[in-house]
Amino acid sequence: MRHMSRRLAIAAAFALVVGACSFGTETPGTQAPTGSGTETGMAPVNLTIWSHRSDAFNGAIEQAATAYTAVHPEVTFTFEDFAYNQYIQTLQTALPAGTGPDILQMFGTWTCSYSGFLAPVPQDVMTTEAAHEAFYAAPIGGYTCDDTLYGFPHEFNIEYGATLVNTDVADAAGVDWEAGWATWDDFRADALAMTETIDGNITRAGYHFTAADGLSYSFFSLLVQSGGAMLNEDATAFTFDTAEGREAFAILQAMVDDGIIDPVLFNDEENWVGDCYFEDLCSMGLVGPWVVRDYEESAPDIAAATTYVALPPNEGSSAFVADSGWGMTVSKDSPAAEAAWDFIAFATIDPENAAAFNLTSGSLPALVANGEGAGRDALVAEFPHFAPFFEILPDGQYVGNLPDRDLVWYDIAYPHLLAGLQGVESVDDMLAAMQREANETFG
Amino acid sequence: MTPAVVYIAAFSLLPIVWAVALTFFDFSPRRTGTPFLGLGADNPFVGLEHFRRMFDFSADAPLEVRQFHIAVKTTLIFAFLVVPLNLAITLPLASMIESVGRRSRVLFRTIFFLPVLASSVGVAIIWGFVLHPQRGLLNALLTKITGEYTVISWTADSSFIVLGLPVALFAILVAYLWQDIGYNLVIFVAALQAIPESVKDAALVDGTSAWQRFRYVTLPLLKPTILLTSILTMISAFQAFDLFQVMTDGGPGQPGQEQTRVLTLDIYENAFRFQRMGWAAAVSLVLFLIVFLISRAQARLLRVEWEY
Repeated sequence: MRHMSRRLAIAAAFALVVGACSFGTETPGTQAPTGSGTETGMAPVNLTIWSHRSDAFNGAIEQAATAYTAVHPEVTFTFEDFAYNQYIQTLQTALPAGTGPDILQMFGTWTCSYSGFLAPVPQDVMTTEAAHEAFYAAPIGGYTCDDTLYGFPHEFNIEYGATLVNTDVADAAGVDWEAGWATWDDFRADALAMTETIDGNITRAGYHFTAADGLSYSFFSLLVQSGGAMLNEDATAFTFDTAEGREAFAILQAMVDDGIIDPVLFNDEENWVGDCYFEDLCSMGLVGPWVVRDYEESAPDIAAATTYVALPPNEGSSAFVADSGWGMTVSKDSPAAEAAWDFIAFATIDPENAAAFNLTSGSLPALVANGEGAGRDALVAEFPHFAPFFEILPDGQYVGNLPDRDLVWYDIAYPHLLAGLQGVESVDDMLAAMQREANETFG
Repeated sequence: MTPAVVYIAAFSLLPIVWAVALTFFDFSPRRTGTPFLGLGADNPFVGLEHFRRMFDFSADAPLEVRQFHIAVKTTLIFAFLVVPLNLAITLPLASMIESVGRRSRVLFRTIFFLPVLASSVGVAIIWGFVLHPQRGLLNALLTKITGEYTVISWTADSSFIVLGLPVALFAILVAYLWQDIGYNLVIFVAALQAIPESVKDAALVDGTSAWQRFRYVTLPLLKPTILLTSILTMISAFQAFDLFQVMTDGGPGQPGQEQTRVLTLDIYENAFRFQRMGWAAAVSLVLFLIVFLISRAQARLLRVEWEY
């Protein structure tokens, strides 16, 4: 009897743990049909969508859901958003436990890491071949794992190619920003003119590119423009420690040497580029156009004076390293997968709905139809900040499915490049360490 | 089997057993593994491999190993700075508070205890405002005093070293002490009030000075309290996480040389950002052993065999 009690207690304890880990007894993300159906004849279904927290993106997802519900009143939505880091943790715990939502917003470059927990796109929604024709290579590349498609992107993630310019500051400094820049020398001269100092300390940076994304993408893209490559031919190792890598870093170093930016005072920890620019501490800043949507309410004056101007090419090349971008996937455990895929197709494949998403979120289109011709013109008319990016979209080189993209970007490349610019690590040591540590991620 | 036992088994024992089990696997929650708890297959059994790698001190050791080494060093430095500094501040302060009138004592105790009640993340954000290079109160004060525009990066300049230690670590230390001293202060005030007046009177009759009474009467009688507070402070210093994550996120410094990377941050990053759950479990076991051994040593050193 005593043994029996022990066993019962252990079983109860185990049940408690399992119960605690499963967020409740009902599978989140779906609710049992609550009514007798609608005029469409389908049973009511509630789809839960998880996403990372961003006012602009969350607003765009909710807008797409509202539009979908207008056409399909039997489908309702529950939205849950999480801070970036917390979202990663939540995915890691919920997906193996089978307690994920129906629809997961996924960053394309993460998708293959989670593909074991995701449902492949049904052939009747879109084939892999058709998807690669409909979307740009970089964004759809992230959602394709071993020729199997696991979702659709709703943006072309781009953090390089054009810079925020505060036209009021540029005009006051006598900079002809409308003419753009043909060379990096021209760019540096204007950026220096827009830099302000007191007692030798920078009070307004001329050009802020030293946040994590800006610095990593700048280096990677300049490396490619210099004739180098991110990865070797069989994509099994990074190739940072090269002559092209040194050339790319020298362009960045020159801006620090000129006094346009102080990487000790302006970086992710001290003055993130979006905060810096919209708090009037930077004249120009390297970050994607989505940032304007995030700040236009809190800093309307600066947003009104903001434009994007293309960065100069290097050695005649405007190539840039492109990541995939945010998009939508379906949990393999979702009992409402059919409805989930129907909504995702509605929001991402239909050009009109996809364009509405891009306009609300300030993100560039992943659909080729919206990046060219009339689709492109319509987007630029509504949100002119897109214009310079459209010029270079075809030059995007997808980085490929890396084992751990965030680790390489944020915990290896960024801190090494920042240390190099701050002068605490030599260029040779920096490039060698960066390459070695990034290669360790291949296992 | 009482509900308490079931509760402890469910929420303490099982997670500990699971964490220990994970130390023997190269486990990542992103990989599916076998149906049995996800262990095996893509998440293979590696035995003591994680612990063996911890002793790889070569220059080309993998990044996570070098980060573990720097995290152990920084954690130990931080904890061994926090304990004496905390006691050096709280003990005299408690003596002073104990010597004032009852109403003033309650007022001071409340003022010093208030930061303890604040959220650590909130404290980190407040100190972020104080230490911000351009908009921070501290640099504004220095600008006022020196008459020169002062822009010092207190938390992001890896070349800013004082007394052989990075200033970023000192910045977190100050924020940590500011928040933490109230806790020990209240304990010390209570302990001081518990010392019998007769003992103090006897010392007074013997003609001792105030310092002698403190040194030879009060301090020895506070030994059990000092033991308690030093162990609690040491444990909480080893567990400090929020301030490190919000104020510096382990930086500044290049990978493997991060100046404020502590073990809790290392565990968090490996487990939840980079999905090396097996490695993170092994590091957390090491943290447990360090805390356990140091607490045992403290208890042995400060043990008393009398009561009053």
